[in-house]
Amino acid sequence: MKAIKEGLIFSLFVNTFLICPQFVTGQNKSVLLMNGYAHLGNGKVIENSVIGIKDGKIVMVADARVIKLNPKGFDTVINLSGKQVYPGIIAPNSTIGLVEMEAVRASNDIEEVGSINPNVRSQDAYNADSKIIPTIRSNGILIAQVCPRKGLLPGTSSIFELDGWNWEDALLKGDDGVQLNFPHLPIEKMQVDPPVLAEKKVLYEKELQNLKKFFLDAKAYKEVENQEEKNLRFEAMKGVFDGSRKLFIHVDYAKDIITAISFIKELGIKSPVIVGAKDAWLVMGLLKENNLPVMLGRVHDLPLRPDDDTDMPFKLPSILQKAGILFCLQNEGDMEVMNSRNLPFLAGTAEAYGLTKEEALTAITLSPAQILGIADKVGSLETGKEATLFVSNGDALEMKSNQVALVYIRGKQIDLNNEQKDLYEKYKKKYGLK
Amino acid sequence: MIGLRQVILFFTATCFFQLLILAQETFPVNGVFNKNHNYYAFTHARIYRDYETVLDDGTLLIRDGMIVEVGEKVSVPKGTVVFDLKGKDIYPSLIDMYTNYGIPEVKKMPKPISPQYETTTKGAYDWNQAIKSEFNAVSVFTIDRKAADEYLKMGFGTVLAFQKDGIARGSAVVVSLGETRENEVVLADKAAACYSFDKGSSYQEYPTSLMGAIALLRQTYLDGLWYKNNQKKTEYNASLLAWNNLQALPQIFEVSDKLSALRAAKIGKEFSIDYIIKGIGDEYQRLEDIKESNCRFILPLNFPNVYDVEDPYDAMNVSLAEMKHWEMAPANPAFFEKKAIPFALTTADLKDKNDFWKNLRKAIEYGLSEKQALKSLTVIPARLLGIQEKVGRIKKGMLANFIITSGNLFDAKTKIYENWVQGNRHVINEDAIPDLNGNYDLKIGTDRQYVLKITGEPVQLKGIIVAGTDTAKISAGVKIENRSIVITYLSPLGKESVRLSGLITEKEGKPFFNGRGVLNSGEWVDWVAIYKSDLNEPLKKDSVGKEKPVIGEVYYPFCAYGEPEGSKSLWKRYKERQHAILIKNVTVWTNDSAGVLKNRDVYINEGRIVAIDHAIKPLKTAFAVEIDGTGKHLTAGIIDEHSHIAISGDINEASHAITAEVRIGDVIDCEDINIYRQLASGVTSCQLLHGSANPIGGQSALIKLRWGQSPEAMKIEHADGFIKFALGENVKQSNAGDNYVIRFPQTRMGTEQVYYDAFTRAKEYQTSWKIYQGLSKKEKTEQPAPRRNLGLEALVEILNKQRFITCHSYVQSELNMLMHVSDSMGFKINTFTHILEGYKVADKIKAHGIGASTFADWWAYKVEVKDAIPYNAALLTKMGIVTAVNSDDPEMGRRLNQEAAKSIKYGGLTEEEALKLCTLNPAKLLHLDKKIGRVIVGSDADVVLWSDNPLSVNAKAEKTIIDGLIYYDRDKDKKMQEDIQKERARLIQKMITARKAGEKIQVK
Repeated sequence: MKAIKEGLIFSLFVNTFLICPQFVTGQNKSVLLMNGYAHLGNGKVIENSVIGIKDGKIVMVADARVIKLNPKGFDTVINLSGKQVYPGIIAPNSTIGLVEMEAVRASNDIEEVGSINPNVRSQDAYNADSKIIPTIRSNGILIAQVCPRKGLLPGTSSIFELDGWNWEDALLKGDDGVQLNFPHLPIEKMQVDPPVLAEKKVLYEKELQNLKKFFLDAKAYKEVENQEEKNLRFEAMKGVFDGSRKLFIHVDYAKDIITAISFIKELGIKSPVIVGAKDAWLVMGLLKENNLPVMLGRVHDLPLRPDDDTDMPFKLPSILQKAGILFCLQNEGDMEVMNSRNLPFLAGTAEAYGLTKEEALTAITLSPAQILGIADKVGSLETGKEATLFVSNGDALEMKSNQVALVYIRGKQIDLNNEQKDLYEKYKKKYGLK
Repeated sequence: MIGLRQVILFFTATCFFQLLILAQETFPVNGVFNKNHNYYAFTHARIYRDYETVLDDGTLLIRDGMIVEVGEKVSVPKGTVVFDLKGKDIYPSLIDMYTNYGIPEVKKMPKPISPQYETTTKGAYDWNQAIKSEFNAVSVFTIDRKAADEYLKMGFGTVLAFQKDGIARGSAVVVSLGETRENEVVLADKAAACYSFDKGSSYQEYPTSLMGAIALLRQTYLDGLWYKNNQKKTEYNASLLAWNNLQALPQIFEVSDKLSALRAAKIGKEFSIDYIIKGIGDEYQRLEDIKESNCRFILPLNFPNVYDVEDPYDAMNVSLAEMKHWEMAPANPAFFEKKAIPFALTTADLKDKNDFWKNLRKAIEYGLSEKQALKSLTVIPARLLGIQEKVGRIKKGMLANFIITSGNLFDAKTKIYENWVQGNRHVINEDAIPDLNGNYDLKIGTDRQYVLKITGEPVQLKGIIVAGTDTAKISAGVKIENRSIVITYLSPLGKESVRLSGLITEKEGKPFFNGRGVLNSGEWVDWVAIYKSDLNEPLKKDSVGKEKPVIGEVYYPFCAYGEPEGSKSLWKRYKERQHAILIKNVTVWTNDSAGVLKNRDVYINEGRIVAIDHAIKPLKTAFAVEIDGTGKHLTAGIIDEHSHIAISGDINEASHAITAEVRIGDVIDCEDINIYRQLASGVTSCQLLHGSANPIGGQSALIKLRWGQSPEAMKIEHADGFIKFALGENVKQSNAGDNYVIRFPQTRMGTEQVYYDAFTRAKEYQTSWKIYQGLSKKEKTEQPAPRRNLGLEALVEILNKQRFITCHSYVQSELNMLMHVSDSMGFKINTFTHILEGYKVADKIKAHGIGASTFADWWAYKVEVKDAIPYNAALLTKMGIVTAVNSDDPEMGRRLNQEAAKSIKYGGLTEEEALKLCTLNPAKLLHLDKKIGRVIVGSDADVVLWSDNPLSVNAKAEKTIIDGLIYYDRDKDKKMQEDIQKERARLIQKMITARKAGEKIQVK
């Protein structure tokens, strides 16, 4: 009660706004968010918080009950009245901005010709004006790693904040890592005739050998400082060996994960990340021993095998949490772009199956930031980080209460409208509905 | 040991002696005639006249390929060739009623690039290329000596041969395995008609699915009748003519699993046909239903090999169902015998025919009686094929088809010596090779005297020579050729090589060899070996006398999370009495005027909700299970209006624009693990819909997720019929690739015309039947009945409000269009499913009284979903349209309560309104709301106990109850997982043991 009183006192001095979705500004004014229930993303909460934003950065995160401040230092003061404040949710391993409409080839920019294309970069194709982005943003997802797909080495990803006039503007970290779809040892299925299976295994071995050869060549290439003839593919790999670029290894089955780990060791990969890892529960020790961070496959998925625990995909986050493995959630799969807006609910399910609410939030905020190497800028509500955050009327990890009321990206308040809302309003009006 | 014996059996070349030339009346002879009407007598044999009658010391007399007499006292006429078979057995030769012997394989042509909608068979045949009733195997049959040898070696004398191609495969021929001339070996030219669900070499699009194949068969039965009864027919159809002519024959149906066996049986029941079903060996997994089908079976013996499970990660990829089948498959014939279901055995499906005897003995080891085995290989196939007066027994007047063995046919040690086919002798194993194992006194020349020890099987004997005074042992090569023996060895010092060749004879009943040999020096000497003593070594144990192997229990369904038969399973409980359940102190979401009730008790009995009140006292009579519902929520079970789980084969009959004749109800897969997964998420009922590949798709099945029960038992009793329609990109094949551009329609304009045309024809069809039914008896005899058309019948049902449409739809133009078509053709649309632009024409939909079943938030995956909005469900609800959210996806089907909760976020529905989107409203759309969808007294006890508010992301289904039975229990699930691990561990151990014992690896 005391906190609220203090809040009220402040409101006497300055021009205080209550939350109003129509509220739009473009400028980077300084803002003070008061009386919000802040989920910091690092596992901590401040039940009654004050959060100050200046020059696109968070300049203050404090407990309203203990801090003394002068709100006059802020252009705008907003009383959140107990609403929930979160750091911007991060969508790692996405194709946001590369795919507009799956079935329309012309609208897809995710797959290049050939199988080894580390030099292909998502940042140049990212469509900052994708009509899907506003629908994602309005659920609290404010940052995305954007990845090329398919082939062995589909390309190099980049990380964007989901606001910007163009890709250059939106870029948070360019060329953050090389994507690798690790070869999959064919699993013997009844439907596959033995000769077909044998052929597949031969292809698998060949692919694995090719992959190793490419990495060895790329590594050797790097040793020579000024190559006379540039090889763009090898150039793109340099960072993988000095650690300036991550290697995102997409792999799901236990045996493939083991092969991938020996691959990492053999080739001296500096910053590997395991992506997918649906069988992580079978190789926990190895992941832990080798200190491998995991970007876990879709929580809303079916178990890999008919005999598996029915709830395995739901439980996997808490299994990794208990084992002390650094992990985050991601959403690769069918219709992944439009589905990105459901990322908070993947965390919600992880909460239902064993994580605490704050652990679940961390899995979509601070942990992905750490795994992507952007935790110095985003991922939690901490002083000095970018003011990329949002306010929800209720628990953002719940379908029924995720009601995003305010979004800031780099301190700029974002228009929460989108085409879908427009259509809704238009037809509500047509029918005279409220 | 079994393996070794088999090797011997097949190493010995099959010799063929043509003793008798049967009269080939019509054939001229080059040279002099070689007529031979001699008698042949087989005396002092143990004769198995059939599977149950044995003569211990009998005589068999044959002449001209026929059995003249058999008995204990048979007078042998003069001029008879007599074989004394003392100590040997005679059996009727075996019959394999499912082979492709002598029938050329049908070569598949390269697949055409564009889809093929019409038949490419030239001539006046059926419209569908997979109906090949006009084909007669006898017309292409030729003797295949190599294949015949293979069957002869196994003991077969007669086989049924058919061409494995098509859905109606035409007639099969019965032939003996004689090697003379086709004219003589054909015993019955049209012996059976063969069918399957596999269209084989046909590339004609229809049918693309299992349910399409079923529909095609059903329609062809009707067409056959129409063709037969219609004297004024306007078409000649050689296939239908043949189809009708084949109906009097035994009807053999090949299926690909136990569920398809039941499917075939269902067709048989509809058209009064007693199919003989060729199964695949998994029938024991649903034996009750198999028994009830009243079908007779042909069972293969291709038991799965052991899986490679040594690497624990590899083992993970072998499912419990596969492991259990590996263990239990050899018991399949024994299960049949125990249940008294008639069956024949076949060598079909064996990758290696050498496994036949090994596997048959295994089946016997697993409980099949020898008597039944013999019956299933002789009398039963003969009877099933109507040739029981020709083969299958040793009986006067029957064909002289029999085998001579060294003893009991089913004993692993037994050898088949000879296989006589129509009086022709085929020597399989030389019967004269005596057992040479033993110690011999070996004398070479005058001064060499040793002990020779011979061990091993006749084809790979080993010798050891011990010098009389020396203890040194030298190994010697021992080779048998016909009646001669060759022994070679190097002397102890390695300097002297000795080679001996001699004759095998007998002295006082013991082997005796003598002959000439060459010493190292080149000197020729005499040698002799005299049998001295037995090896005196214990015999290796083999399968004989082994105890019956212990195997696990059948699970219902046969996979992980199924219930073991023996445990007090749902399966059994269902057959007994329904349980009573009392849920105490729970929050009840009634979906009714009472709203949400707190702290109530809910009493369930006899499958119904019987009371909702404060503090209910359990009835004395019922053994009520009491569940504490404190802090928990009870809702109606989730109903998925749009689901494609639990379907065998393709969910689309993706061929014709109209496939109203196909029925999902024919292809329910009661063993889909997604059934259990959805139960674990509170789903109790689903509409299993046909896909959206055509403007008029197939008929739906409404099921309750009664996990463990048969497909038929899953269907909701007395439910209305539904059918799938579809509009837009899928039916225009917009996203099907550049080759799919020839089927009408390719536009929304064409789609409209498909409907007008279909319903115009349906009306005409209805009229033609009305006219016919109005005719007098006499007129009916003159006027043939119209041809029944299953597709049009379904459309007539729609016109008569007996079948209801669920129409896949996206954009407003097409929604509007179908409403116009329905208005002008006089039918009603029940539900628009997906209906993503429904919000744009909500007023029109409302005015037409059509319901909506939509996605919570899908969009942006194709052009027609560009304007899809997540507010759709809320807006339609607010417009007063009965609205549901559906999954169309086995994963999303696990979270329909959460999908419903999104309409609170998008559009501001109340929690109660939101819950109805996945419970009461789909029940209304499916006309089931009188029984399910609410938690009120009198409704079916299809309810879910949730750990939390059902619209919260935190809510977990703790108990899912259908018909008052708990089908999913979160606590029990834990125990089940442990049991699965235990059962897996047991089987893995067993597999590793089996593999160490030399069993072959199964390539999955």
